[in-house]
Amino acid sequence: MATKPSDSRWLDCINVILLVLAGVIVMTPTAWMVLSSFKPSHEVTAYPPTLIFAPTVENYVTLSEQTPFLSYAVNSLIVTVGSTLFGLLFGAPAAFVASWTRITWPAVVALMARMAPGTLFLLPWYVMFRQVDMIGSYWALILTHAVITLPIVIWVLLPYFDNIPRSIFEAAQVDGCSPFRIFRRIALPLVASGLAVSAILAFVFSWNFFLFSLVLSNSQTKTLIAASFNFIGEGSTNWGGLMAAATIIALPPLLLAAIVQRWLISGLTLGAVKG
Amino acid sequence: MASITMRNLVKNYGNVTVIPGLDLEIADEEFIVLVGPSGCGKSTLLRVLAGLEAIDGGDLMIGDRRVNELPAAKRDIAMVFQDYALYPHMTVRQNMAFALEMRGLSAAEIAPRIEEAAKLLDIQPYLDRRPKALSGGQRQRVAMGRAIVRDPQVFLFDEPLSNLDAKLRGQVRAEIKTLSKKLRTTMVFVTHDQIEAMTMADRIVVMKAGIIQQVGTPEEVYENPANLFVASFIGSPSMNFLPVEVQADQLRLVDGSLLPTTLMAGQAAGHKSLTLGIRPEHFEVVGEGQGIAADIRLVEPLGSDTLVHAFAAGQEVIARVSPDLRPVTGQRLWLSPASGKAHLFDPETEVRIDGTGKVN
Ligand SMILES: Nc1ncnc2c1ncn2[C@@H]1O[C@H](COP(=O)(O)OP(=O)(O)O)[C@@H](O)[C@H]1O
Ligand SMILES: [Mg+2]
Repeated sequence: MATKPSDSRWLDCINVILLVLAGVIVMTPTAWMVLSSFKPSHEVTAYPPTLIFAPTVENYVTLSEQTPFLSYAVNSLIVTVGSTLFGLLFGAPAAFVASWTRITWPAVVALMARMAPGTLFLLPWYVMFRQVDMIGSYWALILTHAVITLPIVIWVLLPYFDNIPRSIFEAAQVDGCSPFRIFRRIALPLVASGLAVSAILAFVFSWNFFLFSLVLSNSQTKTLIAASFNFIGEGSTNWGGLMAAATIIALPPLLLAAIVQRWLISGLTLGAVKG
Repeated sequence: MASITMRNLVKNYGNVTVIPGLDLEIADEEFIVLVGPSGCGKSTLLRVLAGLEAIDGGDLMIGDRRVNELPAAKRDIAMVFQDYALYPHMTVRQNMAFALEMRGLSAAEIAPRIEEAAKLLDIQPYLDRRPKALSGGQRQRVAMGRAIVRDPQVFLFDEPLSNLDAKLRGQVRAEIKTLSKKLRTTMVFVTHDQIEAMTMADRIVVMKAGIIQQVGTPEEVYENPANLFVASFIGSPSMNFLPVEVQADQLRLVDGSLLPTTLMAGQAAGHKSLTLGIRPEHFEVVGEGQGIAADIRLVEPLGSDTLVHAFAAGQEVIARVSPDLRPVTGQRLWLSPASGKAHLFDPETEVRIDGTGKVN
């Protein structure tokens, strides 16, 4: 085996330390959350924290008995999937057109909308939806969550489209292809992995966003993450139940990310390299 | 299968004029090669023909139809791109079928056409491969196949050989020429390589800075170049240019040597200073003390003939001589232009002066 220059070994060392550090920062609360959800309620806040305990599903049982948990989960899915599809449906053509025409200011506007705090949209949305009597409807939530999903889809896909040699589109034009067909038959298949990445990111961000749901939903359309806030405050907080809810909430995005991690990484770095 | 007519065609990019007003008639079934140095607007002109660039002035006719506003998709033109631009997610077969599908042909109509084109180009063995699994030469064939299968009005080629190695380039060059005779479709072929132009074209269009310098058969362009630019661009190695003074019926070179005007293809009378143009292959080795003294600086044997780089009449010149001469560096040769092969150019206008003494 060739020995590496010492500089490079130092860098490797630092790299490992940083990775471990990041791992600890990310994994500790996650592990805490998952473990706590399986502890008896009174042990959750015990100090020092118990590491060895008799696991119980008590918290999960309480959760499903005390709250319409399943229907909240379904609400979450409807809103998240709906807004993700909405984002793809409009974001993908928007990114294609922005890349084709090299007019990117709409994408910048979309990004700024994404950067702005959600409260910026919340009040106008609330007033508008109330006027058309849509508060509490799925559509109200799906549309507001599109504020999150659209910019994600556009910005993830833009470098993918930019990466396709222009001559391929031109060849299609010469071959008698209309712009819409170029989009569907040439461009979309060539950014398939980008579509997957953007769909997953949109799903995760939409799933995790609770602010809109807190204000714009009613008891029928409340999403999981907004509903979980019911556990806090009212009298004494049920930490065990909260941990169980949090674990369930965290599950879908984590699962998704685990399944597609390779795509995700290549997709994110593509964006980074192309700037 | 259509003629192409350009009348005062103008193309700008922003406020940069790339083609300031171009007139050209291309006959039906003709093989036209647009040649010129890089950046002279060849690709731009081709893209204008294809409909990929908007026209800023003048008329473009395909057949007798004005197509200025017709989008690329409706022009019934096939184009072979420099980078081939194959659809990466489709097999060779799908690549070739795509344009036919776009025109609404059924699978049953498409299949035999693909077979036929594939046979013509020898690409049957990899019809079901993706472009990524093909070599450069194979991709080039597929790109041609994709064009041929359409049976279009006009073929456009944008430097399709520039990504091939030298040997393959020569081979494909010959194949395209054979193909053009077989298909009898109007072809416009763009290249910066004058050898490609000379070997393939029915007529060559020499361009410089968006302006046509000369249109003619390869022989015409080689034998009677319209100006200094065409004379230096066509032919390899390039034509030698020597400044001369007219003295009665003789031309006086910088080193004082004299050449009789009777050797010239152009009429020197009535001019004072001229530029003498002699191709390397049109030098003759003459007896000592005649013609121009040339001191050999470098000898390049090519096998069939030998290139001699020499210092003559105050400058570097190149002569193509017989290998039997066995020239060596340091040797002095005496060179004279072959009768009727030396050209005269007006150094001011750079235009060639023909036998009548007029600028042509
Ligand atoms: N899209 C464009 N925008 C601005 N200028 C361009 C564009 N395409 C080409 N040009 C300019 O037009 C001129 C001709 O280019 P081109 O037709 O590609 O030349 P060629 O194919 O003969 O090498 C060049 O000076 C080039 O810089
Ligand atoms: Mg070019």
